[in-house]
Amino acid sequence: MSLVVGVDIGNSTTEACAARLTGNGIEFLGSGLVPTTGTKGTTANVDGVEAAVRAALRTTRAPLGELARVFVNEATPVISGLAMETITETLITESTMIGHDPRTPGGAGLGVGITVPFAALDECSPGEAVIAVVPAGVDFAVAAKGLEAALERGVGLRGAVLGNDDAVLVANRISRVIPIVDEVRLVDAVPAGMTAAVEVASPGRTIRTLSNAYGIAGLFSLDADQTRAISPVARALTGIRSAVVVRTPSGEVSDRRIPAGTLELRGGSAVLRIDVGEGAEAIMAAVGRVAPLDDASGEAGTNVGGMTAAVKQNMADVCGLEVAQVRIGDLLAVDTFVPQEVRGGLAGEVALENAVALATMVRTSHGPMRQVARAIAERLRREGAPDVEVVIGGVEAEMATRGALTTPGTDRPLVVLDLGGGSTDAALAGADGTVTTVHLAGAGDLVTRLIASELGVERDVAENVKRSPLARAESFFHLRLEDGTVRFFGEPLPPTVFARVVALTEQGLVPIPTRHSVDRVRDVRRTAKQRVFVVNALRALARVAPYRDLRQIGFVVLLGGSALDFEIPELIADALAPYGIVCGTGNVRGSEGPRNAVASGLVLAQGGP
Amino acid sequence: MATAVVPPGISLREIGTAGRGVRPDEVVLALSPGFAGFFTKTIVDIPHAEVVRQILAGVEEQGVHARVVQLHATADLAAVAHTGARLSGSGIGIGVLSRGTTMIHQKDLPRLSSLELFPQSPLMTPEIYRAIGRNAAQYAKGDSPQPVPTLNDQMARPRWQAKAALLHLKECELLVKGAPATEVDPVIEDPA
Repeated sequence: MSLVVGVDIGNSTTEACAARLTGNGIEFLGSGLVPTTGTKGTTANVDGVEAAVRAALRTTRAPLGELARVFVNEATPVISGLAMETITETLITESTMIGHDPRTPGGAGLGVGITVPFAALDECSPGEAVIAVVPAGVDFAVAAKGLEAALERGVGLRGAVLGNDDAVLVANRISRVIPIVDEVRLVDAVPAGMTAAVEVASPGRTIRTLSNAYGIAGLFSLDADQTRAISPVARALTGIRSAVVVRTPSGEVSDRRIPAGTLELRGGSAVLRIDVGEGAEAIMAAVGRVAPLDDASGEAGTNVGGMTAAVKQNMADVCGLEVAQVRIGDLLAVDTFVPQEVRGGLAGEVALENAVALATMVRTSHGPMRQVARAIAERLRREGAPDVEVVIGGVEAEMATRGALTTPGTDRPLVVLDLGGGSTDAALAGADGTVTTVHLAGAGDLVTRLIASELGVERDVAENVKRSPLARAESFFHLRLEDGTVRFFGEPLPPTVFARVVALTEQGLVPIPTRHSVDRVRDVRRTAKQRVFVVNALRALARVAPYRDLRQIGFVVLLGGSALDFEIPELIADALAPYGIVCGTGNVRGSEGPRNAVASGLVLAQGGP
Repeated sequence: MATAVVPPGISLREIGTAGRGVRPDEVVLALSPGFAGFFTKTIVDIPHAEVVRQILAGVEEQGVHARVVQLHATADLAAVAHTGARLSGSGIGIGVLSRGTTMIHQKDLPRLSSLELFPQSPLMTPEIYRAIGRNAAQYAKGDSPQPVPTLNDQMARPRWQAKAALLHLKECELLVKGAPATEVDPVIEDPA
């Protein structure tokens, strides 16, 4: 009878499983789970391993001194890298338009006139059609008085552009309803003496004329060529409540594609080059054509080049290899968008620019696991387990399938999908006992990154959005949950969550600092998970399935941290349903949920028959 | 109690005892007993006319209605703001003390809690008062405004505490036990 512990060092967590090996079988005692210390596969892991072993033994009260053997897995060191590059850029030249959608424009309608600075309004003659441009220093009462005086003199005041957030205040203080656009930060840069159009839609509606190329053409009497030139202006102004367009001699809005660099994909049979600017779909199609991927590299001197070089350098440092020996084994590209301030804008306009996110995964054949094992043995002996032996117990994927098969209701052929932080790993345990594995780039970290960039929030906020369902605190006593139901509270909610979108985390309600609605945040969250986990699940299954036929797979067991997510398992199960696959979250040893599969598998492999 | 001095720029015309509002698009601005009466400016000499004008402008810009009440029985900020919130049809109230300290309150909150608190009166500016009016109106509309950034100055306490305490004592001398809040119409001179 001997006390053994199986230890699985993962990218983000280190798990342990303690058991007693007796003559007639294995008696499982307890489990431990702690954060991994250092990069997976390095001697910095020892602290985490010690903590995990202690945690596993603590649940059973077995003394450390009795410990006979520790099994660690032969991990393929998989390092993932993430990078995101915008591939489009919106530019406004010569202050042609203002389309920043202030929350409270004033008045309503459409007005066309010549731009006149507020100070020069007195000099306008009656009957002249003008658009007043009021600088930020002018008080709302003063501005309203000045505009009203001009109206009384008979000046054809058709609209106003304000620097301050005063549009409703001014509109309430003048006798005629004119469209007023406010919060124009660089109002001083609006050119004077030019024909301009101001449009404000009534609440709940969006502008109709300035967002239509022919509408602008009609207002400014443009010919066909000029209309073609201003059509990006109209496109940039769709979906907003207020806008200003100034006709300048050569101003324009352009939608420019930034050269993001080319990726060179080297496969077994072919080498393909693809421009990152072509988007995720084109990149993934190319990855599919060269599969299996041997290596990828970016064009030197471009963003992609810098990113691939950094991933390789990091991996080389970890393994003590030459950079030239490191190969990128897989790559996942995802289309996304990043809100970015428009260059040349006068009011801090924000445009959603297209971007491509790349997750890469690097693997080498031999990790320095022996060193790690030796370091663990030294540490545990010093800490009071004099007879301990540390054994490299087997390949991670094999161990994971062994552990996963302890889930009640499973059988071979079975695929383990390990949804981790950095990579998505799949292993097929065939009916004949063979194990086929694949490691794919892109998992939880990429989802967090997509959520953070699309909502424009910090990483820790994005992490909360990813992990928890949403709600909105509509009063101090009730929450409207994201599915539309209401939850009431007897005690008032904390003031920090009042009127905010909140994440229902295990630690309680966490406010999400965003202007977006619950529906919008939920949509971003779910599509991010779709684009990473569902895409990768299908990719992984196709790679390990016999004859690449998903119907040959009977069972899919989801493991890893992301399998604990409240919706990822559902999303994947929905996507796999058409193939007749039984898919669900694993329950290792019938008690551990999707955790501890590899650690349990290590013990089973050693002590089992 | 009150003095006959009419402060420059603002006078509060008394309408009657303040009742509970029914309009859901209403924010109540509750003023302390000495506001725009015995006192005419904050601890850093911002005229009370400007304080009220900016808060009301912030509310109006959001398309929300504002009502102004003055309290006579308390000069405690939480009590002033919470009374305003309870009188407000939307449940959102703003409380302001004569020295400038301000709070946004909601009727369902415990009195000593608040939605947003601006505790250091010497750091207040007209722009902050405008933003406070804007945020209160957005809460009333059911929006999710970003809280107005609160400033913190380590030296504000040692520099201003004595003056703040004196101003508070002076304001407390104006208290009338049990007097109900009155609704007032602020008459403010616009800048030229």
